[in-house]
Amino acid sequence: MSETTPSEYVTLVSNDGYEFKILRSAACIAGAIKKALDPLSGFRENAQSRVDLPTINGVILEKVCEYLYYNQKHVESKEVPDMDIPPELCLELLIAADYLDC
Amino acid sequence: MPLFRPQGLHGDDIDFENTWSIIASAFKEIHTKNASRLSYEELYRHAYRIVLKKKGEELYNRVHQFEQDWLGHEVRGSILSLFSPNLLADAQSLGSTTANERRVAGERFLKGLKQAWGDHQVCMSMLADVLMYMDRVYCQDNRRPSIYNAAMVLFQKEILQSATSDVAGRVVLGLLNHVILDQIQMERDGDVIDKHLIKSCVYMLGDLYEDELESDDQRLYTTSFEREYLETSRGFYRGEAELLLRDSDAGAYCKQARRRIYEEEERCKSTLLEVTMPKIQKVVEDELIKNRIREVVDMESGVRFMIDNDRLTELNLVYDLNSRVDDKKDEVTRAVQKRIVAMGADVNNAALAASQAPAAAAEAGDKAKGPAQDKGLNQQTVAAIKWVEDVLELKDKFDRIWSESFQSDILLQSALTRSFADFINSSAFPRSSEYISLFIDENMKKGIKGKTEMEIDMVLDKAITLLRYIQDKDLFERYYKKHLCRRLLMNKSVSNEVEKQMISKMKIELGNNFTVKLEAMFKDMAISEELTAGFKTHVEGLGEKDPKRIELGINVLTSMTWPLETMGGAGDDDEGRRSKCNFPPSIDRIKRGFEKYYNQKHSGRQLTWLANMGSADVKAVFPKVQQRDGSTKERRHDLNVSTYGMVILLLFNELPAEENLTFEEIQAQTNIPQNDLIRNLQSLAVAPKTRILIKEPMSKDVKPTDRFSFNEGFTGKFVKIKVGVVSSGNKVESDRERRETEKKNDASREYQIEAAVVRIMKQRKELLHQQLVMETLSQLAGKFKPEVNMIKKRIENLIEREYLERIDTAEMDSYRYLA
Repeated sequence: MSETTPSEYVTLVSNDGYEFKILRSAACIAGAIKKALDPLSGFRENAQSRVDLPTINGVILEKVCEYLYYNQKHVESKEVPDMDIPPELCLELLIAADYLDC
Repeated sequence: MPLFRPQGLHGDDIDFENTWSIIASAFKEIHTKNASRLSYEELYRHAYRIVLKKKGEELYNRVHQFEQDWLGHEVRGSILSLFSPNLLADAQSLGSTTANERRVAGERFLKGLKQAWGDHQVCMSMLADVLMYMDRVYCQDNRRPSIYNAAMVLFQKEILQSATSDVAGRVVLGLLNHVILDQIQMERDGDVIDKHLIKSCVYMLGDLYEDELESDDQRLYTTSFEREYLETSRGFYRGEAELLLRDSDAGAYCKQARRRIYEEEERCKSTLLEVTMPKIQKVVEDELIKNRIREVVDMESGVRFMIDNDRLTELNLVYDLNSRVDDKKDEVTRAVQKRIVAMGADVNNAALAASQAPAAAAEAGDKAKGPAQDKGLNQQTVAAIKWVEDVLELKDKFDRIWSESFQSDILLQSALTRSFADFINSSAFPRSSEYISLFIDENMKKGIKGKTEMEIDMVLDKAITLLRYIQDKDLFERYYKKHLCRRLLMNKSVSNEVEKQMISKMKIELGNNFTVKLEAMFKDMAISEELTAGFKTHVEGLGEKDPKRIELGINVLTSMTWPLETMGGAGDDDEGRRSKCNFPPSIDRIKRGFEKYYNQKHSGRQLTWLANMGSADVKAVFPKVQQRDGSTKERRHDLNVSTYGMVILLLFNELPAEENLTFEEIQAQTNIPQNDLIRNLQSLAVAPKTRILIKEPMSKDVKPTDRFSFNEGFTGKFVKIKVGVVSSGNKVESDRERRETEKKNDASREYQIEAAVVRIMKQRKELLHQQLVMETLSQLAGKFKPEVNMIKKRIENLIEREYLERIDTAEMDSYRYLA
């Protein structure tokens, strides 16, 4: 188990090979990602600072990352502008959200 | 790149057994601390899909079974391997092992258990992470406990409740409790133990519950350990109290008790859970204090001993302990009050003994006060002053104890005050009012000479302090008036200022009513001074330049204000005191002159001359007569004598030398009351330094047949000679005098009671007997405490005089006011 301080950025990988480097704090808004990276548990994802998500494709994962940043940015504000969600992605985004717990 | 799986999350049916075996082997890896090889996402995805495929229940049960097996085989085994003969010996209370062996074995056991528990927690938290979706969807929908909680219960059941195989019925939990308690006992006995280790195990018990509902009162800590802990502690402290009471003194007991309370508090913080703190404190307090405080207080080395030896710290300990278990501090209060009353009674008895055995008291007084002791001071006065000083000393002592040991507790303050009042007003000691007044008197006359304002103030405050305790303020007023009267008329006061200061202090303490008459006395004195001066100028204005003129200084006293009846001297009946003394013509003339002058100013007032109170300065010339030293000089002396003395001496002016007068002749010519005459003749003819008259026969007593002549051969060292009248100083009353005073006091009380009753009835019109008595008592509380019997008699009397009537129709005794 690596004892080094956790890196600031982590990598999320989609099933079609796209890699998204995003802030660890933003990534951890998603429950499943947070637990995968939990240093106390010490799973492989933690050591590599990299989470493979073989059930999510690049398009959706990009939107997910956008949402994570969007959530982080607005977490304390009261009036939050709507996020632009293309209707054709809705279903897949919902499935991803359930899976990632975010 | 990880293995690419073309199917999505919601793809085809999955092979449960296959998937589970992947998960199960991963769990095994987690339990053996090989998690870094595993992909969380992969495991999570498997579990996610199983739940998604409605196999949640199966998954849950499998995990549950997996954990049960793991705990039951792997973990339990490792725990059982920790059992050693020493540990088990301890568990069976055989006592064949040393404390140290037991401690080592115990610590090993605790460490193993702590390790197992820690591992279990970490692994279960990882499992729960992996099974997050199951918890979120399956458990919530089916109201099952989260897998983490279920696993905690499993630990409880599989490990803590598993049999230890040594004693029938004993389980690991029981052994754990026992080991912890044993370690704590070692600490109580002075050993050092690994508090941190114990705390970890205690936390474990705090995190585990009897059942899956997890209600707060079902914590293992509360249901199992704490109960046993409190029970053994109770036993331990009961034994310790027994031992301490037998083997040590009260001070040591209190110290130990306080240390134990503190220790238990610390233990709750460092070793156990803080929720136990109030409970264990109650146990310690019950066993060491509540059940024992009475014994401790009454020990030979208890409160009495501490008070007598000024053990302020120990008293503070006792107080502190007592206040822990009892807001009212009953036991300490009781003991302290008892001591005050006992010590007060000692002071009272000493004063009584001193006053009843004058010789012994004189000796004691002389020793106490040294050679500077005023000879004229009556032994009884010494006793009085000693009493006051003793009481003040007692008061100081208890004040110090109160502020330093009892944290200035209000309840104890009032208890102390009550006890002081108790013994000061004790019926066995009726003299306190008189003694306090005498104390003030003594200080006014001599005590405050050469003292600074501050010191004087302190003396006055002391007197006020005692005055506060006095119940019968009216009696005190009577004595104070009497003493003040003597001081004023005989010019004995050192300072008029201080007198007034005292009055104003009393005014603050006892109210205006109390001092009104005292102030009137001062007013009379001031007016008298004016009158004297006025009369002097008046006489001078008459132009009568008589070289033999007699100067008159006069005090006109309002008879209601001044306690004249107490100044007449003992033994006078009314007629004797009122009888008029025959003044010599020269004096009589000036007396009439003043009466005339006074009547011009205030017509209609009657002046009564109290010759027994006055004094006169007489210039005496003793002729040239052969002296013992042979000289024949003429000697002039200024004699300061009482008015009676002056009247007697003037008789000899007109008498040819060598002639004499009998006692009866003097009495007939002067009409001085017999008692006063005897006393004055004693001081003129018997007292060695002022023997201006010669008495035949020479004896100490004056008899009606004695003859008196002028002592031409009189010599004195000083020009001015003061002829003191025998026994005119202030002193303690004799028993008879006091009965007299009390009788007079009772008479004035009767009026006050009647006045109070009438005031109350006038306002209330009708009242029950009981209520009337109560109200009367409360109205008079500031002045004195009347006896109920006296009130009853006064009410009867008022009925006879038709101020009140009984209400015949009423059930209870009640009265109606008759306007």
